[in-house]
Amino acid sequence: MKNEVFNGSRFWTYFKYDLTQMWRYHMRAALGIGLSGLIVYVVAVAFGLIINHTWAAPSFIARVATFFTAFAILELYQTRTYGYLTDKQKGSAWLMIPASTLEKWLSMMVMTLIVIPLVFLVSFFAVDSLLCLIDPTCGGAILGKTSELISAFQAKLGEANAFYETAWSIRMFIGICIASYCANFLFFLLCGLCFKRYKILAAFAIIFVLSLLFSIFFGFFGMGYMEQNFTDFADAEAFLRGYLRWTTISSWIMAIGLGGGIYYRIKTLKH
Amino acid sequence: MITVQNLSFSYGTKGVLKNISMELKGGNIYGLLGENGVGKTTLLTLLCGLKAPLSGTIDTDGRFPFDRQPSLLSEQFYLPDEVAPMPYRAYEFGRENGKLWPNFRQDLFLSILQEFEVDGNHRMDRMSAGQLKKTWIAFALACQVRHYFLDEPTNGLDIPSKAQFRKAITRYTAEDSMVIISTHQVRDLENVIDPIIILDKEDVLVNASLETISRKLFFDYGNEIHPEALYLERTPGGAIQVYPNTTGEDSKVNLEALFNAVHAHKDVVKALFQQ
Repeated sequence: MKNEVFNGSRFWTYFKYDLTQMWRYHMRAALGIGLSGLIVYVVAVAFGLIINHTWAAPSFIARVATFFTAFAILELYQTRTYGYLTDKQKGSAWLMIPASTLEKWLSMMVMTLIVIPLVFLVSFFAVDSLLCLIDPTCGGAILGKTSELISAFQAKLGEANAFYETAWSIRMFIGICIASYCANFLFFLLCGLCFKRYKILAAFAIIFVLSLLFSIFFGFFGMGYMEQNFTDFADAEAFLRGYLRWTTISSWIMAIGLGGGIYYRIKTLKH
Repeated sequence: MITVQNLSFSYGTKGVLKNISMELKGGNIYGLLGENGVGKTTLLTLLCGLKAPLSGTIDTDGRFPFDRQPSLLSEQFYLPDEVAPMPYRAYEFGRENGKLWPNFRQDLFLSILQEFEVDGNHRMDRMSAGQLKKTWIAFALACQVRHYFLDEPTNGLDIPSKAQFRKAITRYTAEDSMVIISTHQVRDLENVIDPIIILDKEDVLVNASLETISRKLFFDYGNEIHPEALYLERTPGGAIQVYPNTTGEDSKVNLEALFNAVHAHKDVVKALFQQ
């Protein structure tokens, strides 16, 4: 008898099915969001030609800003990827698929945190690189400049470390980025699974309420604590290090908690 | 076998099912009848694990449906009243979704589609309601499962399709499989469903085979009026009357008359079937 909690071949069958569904419904959207670089490029060039009569590809900074904007849109899009589960017809059909909750959850995590972002990243950077290959005025592909950017950031960190006598590392910042990326994607995914309508609005309402509560909390307690404990600049630096460490830890705790919340939601989902 | 014991369910404060107990055995096509809002769909969704009971137990071959264990899910299929219009061609839907059910047969799916006169190359989201329903029914039957939960399967089907459905449901379900059909359209399924379950608000009024029903109630199609009849309906050239069978004589069960008789004399009929 097969294991009721996890079975490799059953998971693989379900994963392939889920991947097909993702392709049919959402991969094209991820690819589309990835093409935003092309849209910005076309708009910038068109405006340049119409207004200044010059060929003006979007600057490196503009393209990096486009990347982060597109990435934020992709985050919001997570409310839709499995949002159909709150729909009676489609949700019922999904719940009745012969796979365990763990298998469905695991596939959901892989799709949300790896497959969809990967499709977006590949399409965005492929378009960006291709445009810069064709148009030398673009100022270099983002991907090509990544190592340059990391080196510059490391140099800045080195200066700061020498000044503050600490050892801040780029690994620390990458850790924060990954943890908050996971937490953000899973937060929007969970909102998509919990709310039947106005999923994005509901997610923003939650963010607003939480921000308000945290602001009040830190306003009351955090400021008093800082006033008592930090009297010179060196202490503030120690505080910043602690803050970064705790941001990373709290983001991971949030991501794990949200992952657990998603599991619980699909385990107890009723139609 | 499905055993339901003291099952209760409510939507908030609105009670739907209360202390329902019944046994459902394999090898039968059950007809689940009841007025609007008595909880037929709710009962079906509880039996297949889409909902959790408020109290009481459901046991499907030793498993609790709401646990949604893959082994049980692979042995059952729930077909809702309103089915989803998937963005595929019908044959692609079968090929991709069928892999999830271990006994699914694509050739059978395509052959049932052909019998239903549905083009397998047609996109499901562009089908008429009837065609879409038939595609889902064909898929359900091709899954070759042990338990079928069909909610109003003949809704949206035209007259020839209803006949095709009746033929398919008897032909393509295994002898030991259990089919539970919730329906308002009793005439559509008159010669298919047996036993009959008549659900009332928070109660099961009848859960009996046609043979038992015929033993307990007499369906009189003659002209002579019986004042003791639980139900009387005048028809062109006669009447249909239902009254307790005191002579043990056989009669053909008329499901609509049965339903109306039960509806009009709930306590009498319930007592009769509990004897």
